[in-house]
Amino acid sequence: MSHAATSSIHPLRAENISFGQGAGVAPGMLLMAAGLGCAAACGYIGYASVGGVTAKHALAAYHVGAMSVLAMCLGAMFFSLVFHLLQAGWVATIRRQFENVVSFLPVAYLLVLPTLIIEYMAGGKLFKWFSDAAAGNVVLEHKASYFFLGGEIGTGHAPFPTFFAIRAVIYGVVWFYLSRRIIALGRRQDQSSDATPFAEARFTSAWGMLVFALTTAFAAFDWLMSLDYKFFSTMWGVYYFAGAAFSSAALVALVLALIRMRGKLEGAVTSEHFHDLGKLMFSFTVFWAYISFSQYFLIWYSNIPEETNFMKFRSEHYGTLGVTLMIGHFAAPFLILIFRKVKRTPGLLMLVALWALAIHVLDIYWIVRPMVYAMPSEAPAGPVSVATDVLGAAGPLLILAGHLVKRVGSTPLVGVGDPFMHESLEHRNYV
Amino acid sequence: MSAPVYVTETGEALHGIMAEFATPADLYHAAEKVRDAGYRKWDTFSPFPVHGMEEAMGVNRTILPLMVAGGGFTGAGLGFLMQWWMSAKDYQMLTQGKPFFSWQAFIPITFECGILFAAFTAIIGMLALNGLPRWHHPLFKKERFLGSSDDRFFVCIEAGDANFHPERTRQLLEKAGATSIELVEE
Repeated sequence: MSHAATSSIHPLRAENISFGQGAGVAPGMLLMAAGLGCAAACGYIGYASVGGVTAKHALAAYHVGAMSVLAMCLGAMFFSLVFHLLQAGWVATIRRQFENVVSFLPVAYLLVLPTLIIEYMAGGKLFKWFSDAAAGNVVLEHKASYFFLGGEIGTGHAPFPTFFAIRAVIYGVVWFYLSRRIIALGRRQDQSSDATPFAEARFTSAWGMLVFALTTAFAAFDWLMSLDYKFFSTMWGVYYFAGAAFSSAALVALVLALIRMRGKLEGAVTSEHFHDLGKLMFSFTVFWAYISFSQYFLIWYSNIPEETNFMKFRSEHYGTLGVTLMIGHFAAPFLILIFRKVKRTPGLLMLVALWALAIHVLDIYWIVRPMVYAMPSEAPAGPVSVATDVLGAAGPLLILAGHLVKRVGSTPLVGVGDPFMHESLEHRNYV
Repeated sequence: MSAPVYVTETGEALHGIMAEFATPADLYHAAEKVRDAGYRKWDTFSPFPVHGMEEAMGVNRTILPLMVAGGGFTGAGLGFLMQWWMSAKDYQMLTQGKPFFSWQAFIPITFECGILFAAFTAIIGMLALNGLPRWHHPLFKKERFLGSSDDRFFVCIEAGDANFHPERTRQLLEKAGATSIELVEE
């Protein structure tokens, strides 16, 4: 029972919970600049058709990165809200890292917008409903109001997607407000041990969770599922959420492992906290498998053409990718994270977390890529094609990484006034 | 059978020495002392779980999770095999024009069989590892031991332990702060 709280050096001493004024700004800015550079390079390749890479290809590559990063921020938002709702005690020392990821949510949202704006300006490249709107389509006619709200399709040019745009604005407003609010309430615990902000955060989380669920699900419908407007799945929102929760738990585990490697948060974030983060990763890799199989299974069983096409197409032409996801997103993490030792060793959990982030990007890639090339062989051969995919995904990811380095370096690592701090410091897994 | 056999004054075989403690903290520290003295066959009894008692007693982690994993994977494998044999091998029946061997349709039952076997392994394995069920326990003969379900805390060191010695074991428990010590007949 040698608890950190009873040791002579207190885990919440100032130098243990802060990197010092201005630390992380330079490397953070550098990473963000590198991310912007990657995104710009990807954009240029698409714009100038370097090596036969089309604008559609480059746009898709960037969309994969942006939607992956958005998922990580939304997942962190989910955890922040759910911790407040359940008044989870053990998270008091790690809550700030979830909030740090949440703080990127407005930027992640802004990172998705260029794709949508380019889509509108170029008359639709990636989103089929937009390019098909000009010519008109029987299926699209029935769904037109969901995108265009009164705008007529089949007139030779696509109308302005009014309803689609209204929803995008709503997501932005909601996410901006919710993320600012949760972070501001968390920061108020830095100085004061007054529990009022904590109670307010719980109130915000109650309605915030409902709004979060709706916006996340509909953003997934709008920005990923609608790539192929003929396809529909009511499970799509929760499918995107499953990947979001998995990757954000992994991202926070990675951030905390790196902070611990730099010698901070000693005694405040222990194997016990990593153990529980590992359990969250474990549960959400299973949840992802459960959701993605259920989605596939119902579509496979009912065998309705417009639904089945989505899966048939991917299993016939992108089968290797699908099997890679089954193993990499479920089987391998399941069998690795089942071991207590892996969850309790920050170094090992960090490796699994890195893997989880990569496989999450691949999951989004599996959704987006087949919309660009019906067959993998249609993609132009050569290094530029591969580089476009890497640059497009790396851009938003590096910007997120830079933001986290900057923010972790410049804000206190723990809100010392958290009402549940004592519980978190003494947190133990008895099984 | 090489361990010395002790009997009580009434001539009955000795089960062990039972010591009573007043608080969970006393019990916890007593357990640490008994553990450090190298005893293996002994146990602590309290009306509620005392956090950290496993470490204070030096109890190793249970192998139950491994058994459950084994049970789960066996169940899943058998469930899948069963469906393959029934649907694709023994009694082929065309359903919805799908192939006889439609692995997709087998997954829910495979999963459920995995859960079923894992759950049975967990409950039966837990009982077996705890030596349950059993009809009776020597400690139940002790009037004083009734307090273990109320507000008293007990340590019982069994006579079958290699380190057991009537005097030295009693002294150890006395030094650990026992409020009363009794011999327990088999």
